[in-house]
Amino acid sequence: MSEETSNGIISEDQAVELLALFVSSAQLLMHEPAHYGPLRLLTATERLSAMMLEKATEETRPFLELAIERIPQMHVQMSDVPAYKAGLEELNAAIGDCLVRRAGLEEGASQ
Amino acid sequence: MSNAVLDAIRKRRVVREMTDEPVTQAQLEQILDAGRWAPTGGNMRQNRFVVVQDEKIKGLIYQVAPGMFQRPPVIILICTDLGVARAHQISDDSLTFPMDVGKAAQNMALAAHSLGLATGPVTSFSQSAVNRILNLPEAFVPHMFICLGHAAEVSQFNVRPWQRITWRDLTFYDRFPSDSGGE
Ligand SMILES: Cc1cc2nc3c(=O)[nH]c(=O)nc-3n(C[C@H](O)[C@H](O)[C@H](O)COP(=O)(O)O)c2cc1C
Repeated sequence: MSEETSNGIISEDQAVELLALFVSSAQLLMHEPAHYGPLRLLTATERLSAMMLEKATEETRPFLELAIERIPQMHVQMSDVPAYKAGLEELNAAIGDCLVRRAGLEEGASQ
Repeated sequence: MSNAVLDAIRKRRVVREMTDEPVTQAQLEQILDAGRWAPTGGNMRQNRFVVVQDEKIKGLIYQVAPGMFQRPPVIILICTDLGVARAHQISDDSLTFPMDVGKAAQNMALAAHSLGLATGPVTSFSQSAVNRILNLPEAFVPHMFICLGHAAEVSQFNVRPWQRITWRDLTFYDRFPSDSGGE
């Protein structure tokens, strides 16, 4: 990433919505089951992805689309640990690819 | 064996995707009445129902309720009025309060189901934030939201169970044998 992308990606309202999700989740997770931790982080990932989609660059968009499609499916799979892990694997491979694309490190990239 | 009550108990499911179709005032009142008929410990009747239909307020609740996946037309918050409890010298943390909330919630869920409506309970919300958003009286403890509306036709959001169970897996008769860890 040669220079920081500054395209006003989300609004202050949207940012505050995420802050509310973070602090309410933190309070709840003090007494909720341990596996709700990943659930809340994925909920935040899905919501942020939806907020970013409209203005995101081509490099970032594939990850956002995957998150919006996959995370709701994963919410219902929490009792199927291998399927849940496979979903996390897929999302993490995709964020890795996203970072590589954004850094211009893809093979065949001009710089 | 089958009858309308048993069928409703078996067929009610939590719904996490709802349409915008409104709930009528008559339907809402029947559901609140079902909540009112739930028993309470000592017949204290300390459950209170806060009905939220204002779009802006529902939007704020959604933001501090990580366990709310629905965007329902109506949200009913079941609270305990500790003022009633204190008048009876019952401590604020008495177990009867959450039990009584649960009973009202299930009555409402079954009543809604019988009217062709859908419900989803939500306890994963920040009580402190909800207190502020709804400006609740000091003695009201918010326990559970009931999201109320019409089920979306296609829902992919039905949490799969950890394991299938029947009542037999949950039930024991009489005294536990001495090798079961009982005393
Ligand atoms: C006390 C209580 C709290 C619950 N809280 C939530 C919640 O915050 N969010 C949610 O999506 N479901 C919540 N549920 C719904 C349960 O997850 C649901 O009842 C369970 O998965 C079984 O589904 P069924 O009722 O459709 O059989 C709650 C249920 C109960 C009884």
